Amino acid sequence: MSLTTLVVAGLANGSLYALVALGLVLIFKTQDVVNFAHGEILMVGAFIGFTAFDRLALPYPLAFVIAVLLGGVLGAVVERTAFRRLAHEQHITLAMVTVGLSFFLKGAVRLPYGGDIYTFPPAFGAAGPLVFGDAIIAPQNLLTIGVALALSVLMFLFFGFTSLGKQMRATQQNMTGARIVGIDTGRVFSVTWSLAAAIGAGAGVLAAPISLLYPDMGTGFLLKGFAAAVLGGFESIPGAVIGGFIVGIIEMLFGGYISTAFQQVSAFVIIIIVLFVRPYGLLGRKPLHRV
Amino acid sequence: MTAIRSPWLRAVAALVFWAALCMVPLATDSYLQYVINLVLVYAIIGIGLNFLMGYAGQFAFAHAALMGIGAYTTAVLATRFGVSYWVCLPLSGIVAAVVGSVGTLPAMRMKRVYLALVTLAFAELIVWVLINWKQVTLGTDGVSIGAPELFGWRVKGDKNVYYVVLTCTAAMYWLARRILESRLGRAFVAIRENEIVAQCSGISIARTKFAVFAISAFYAGIGGSLYALTLGFIVPESFNLFQLVIHFSIVVLGGMMSLYGAVIGAVLLTTLPELLRDFQALQEMTYGAVLLAVIVFLPSGVAGVLKRYGLLPREVLARGWRALERNHTASAVLPDRAGGRR
Repeated sequence: MSLTTLVVAGLANGSLYALVALGLVLIFKTQDVVNFAHGEILMVGAFIGFTAFDRLALPYPLAFVIAVLLGGVLGAVVERTAFRRLAHEQHITLAMVTVGLSFFLKGAVRLPYGGDIYTFPPAFGAAGPLVFGDAIIAPQNLLTIGVALALSVLMFLFFGFTSLGKQMRATQQNMTGARIVGIDTGRVFSVTWSLAAAIGAGAGVLAAPISLLYPDMGTGFLLKGFAAAVLGGFESIPGAVIGGFIVGIIEMLFGGYISTAFQQVSAFVIIIIVLFVRPYGLLGRKPLHRV
Repeated sequence: MTAIRSPWLRAVAALVFWAALCMVPLATDSYLQYVINLVLVYAIIGIGLNFLMGYAGQFAFAHAALMGIGAYTTAVLATRFGVSYWVCLPLSGIVAAVVGSVGTLPAMRMKRVYLALVTLAFAELIVWVLINWKQVTLGTDGVSIGAPELFGWRVKGDKNVYYVVLTCTAAMYWLARRILESRLGRAFVAIRENEIVAQCSGISIARTKFAVFAISAFYAGIGGSLYALTLGFIVPESFNLFQLVIHFSIVVLGGMMSLYGAVIGAVLLTTLPELLRDFQALQEMTYGAVLLAVIVFLPSGVAGVLKRYGLLPREVLARGWRALERNHTASAVLPDRAGGRR
C-alpha cells in the first residue's frame, strides 16, 4: 500500500478517535471525571444505527440521526439518574460508576444480539473506491473525515459563540460562581452528557462499517480515544481532534510498516509515552499546584 | 455483635471457628468445594485491591493484569521449568509486586486521572503480551498446572487445594490487619484524604504510594497463583477488564475501607458468576448494575450497613485497640466510627 493510502486510512480512523476523544474531553472538562463507558456508548450507537439501517431498512442519513438522538437521550438519562446525585463525590467514585455503566451497557447489547460479529454495510454500498494517483480511498473514509471535521468545527463554534456554550465554559471554570450568576448547572451537566453521548453514538455509526459490530468493540475505540485525548492535553477540543488524527496515522503506519500485532498496542504505547514525557499533552499547559 | 470480653471464651470461639472451617470439605461435593476455594482466592484479591482503592484511594486498572502475572509466573515456572509450587507461590507475589510498583512508579507523580489511564494501558499491554509471547505463555492455548506435593501430601483435587488456599487466605488476612493497624496503614488513609495534609504530617507521599502499590500487587500475585492452582488451567483472557470488574464489584459491594468487606464481597460475588456461567450478557449486566447501584445507594457497602447495625465489629486502624476497648477506656480513647466514606 502506498504511503498516501495509509495516511488517508489513518486520517479516517483518526477522525473516529477524534470524535471519541471529543466526548471524553467534554465530560472531563465539566465534571472532572474520565468516562470509562464512552466506548460502550459508541458501541450502543453503532448497534442502534445497525438496527435502523440494516434491520428496519431506513435510509442511512435517517439511521445516523436516530442513533445520534437516542445516544443523546442515553447520555441525559445517565447523567440524571446516576451522576446528578454523585456530583460532589470523590473522583474515584465517579470513575467507578462509569466502569459499572460500561459493563451494564455491554451486557444489555449482548443479551439480544449475542456474541456474534455483524457487518455494517457502508453508506455508499455499490460505489467503488476512488483512485487519486497512487492513493486508493474508500468513500466511507471520506464521509468519516468530513463528518468528524464538521462536528469539531460545530463544537468549536458552539463553545465560542452560543449562550449555552458559554454557560458550559463558566460551569467548567467555577461551578459555584456559575450558580451564583444564575446558571442552571444541572442543565449544563445534562447537556454536556447528552452532547458527549450523541457524538459518541454518531462516531459508532461511522465506525461500524470500518471495524465490525460486536459488543466488545468499544474498548479498543475507548483506548484510542484516550490516547488522542491525552495527546491533546485532555482539556482542549482542538487538541483532542489533532490528537485523534495523529493516533490514527501512527497506528496505520505501525500496521503498514512494522506489524499488525503492534498496531493493536500502538495506542497503549502512545498513552504511556506521552504521559511519561509530557503529561499535560501537546496543547495543554503545565499544571500549577495549588495548596 | 458485641465483643466477647472473656479471653477464654474468645479462644474457644476462635478454635470452634477454625475447626469448623477445616471441616468444610467433609460437607461438600467437588463442585461446591471448587466454588468455596474460588471465594477464598477472591477474598485475597479483594483485600489487595482494597488497600489500593479503599484505603489509599488510588484508582488503578492493573489489578487483574497483575493477578495474571502471578498466575502465569506460577504456571510457566512450575510446568516449563519444574520449579516447586511452594517456591512459585511467594515468587508470584514478589514478581507481581515488582511489576506493579516499578511499572507504575513514573505514574505516581501524575494527576489521579492519568494514573487510571496509564494503568489501563498497562493492563491491556500485559494481556497482549500474555497472548502474543507464545514461546513462554503458549498464547491463547493456555497453560495447565499440575498438582503440587508437600512432604508426601499430594495436593490433588478441590478438597486438598482447599487447605492450601485456606491457609494462605488466613495468613494474608492476618498480614493485612497488621499492616493496616500500623503507621503505614494510617498513612494510606492520610494520602487518600488529603495529600498535602499528609505531607505536612511527615508522610512521604512517594514512599507510601510505592508501598501501597507493591502490597496491593503482591496480594494480586498471590491470588493469581492460587487462582491458577484452583482452576488448574489458565488462559490470558481470564485476566482482562471483565476480571477487573469482578474485583471492583467485590470491593465496592463488600465495602471500601473494610477487610471484612473484601471477604463479604468475595462470598457474594464469586457464587454469582457460577450461577450465571453460561450467560455472559447477564453476568456483565449484573456486575455493572451491582457497581452502579451500590455506589449510588449503598456507598459504604454491605460491611458498612452491618457495622451500622452492630452486626460487624468496628475496624480501627491502631494496634491493640481491641484490648483498649475491652478495658472500658475505649469510648474515651477511640473515635466512634473508624474510617467510613466522607
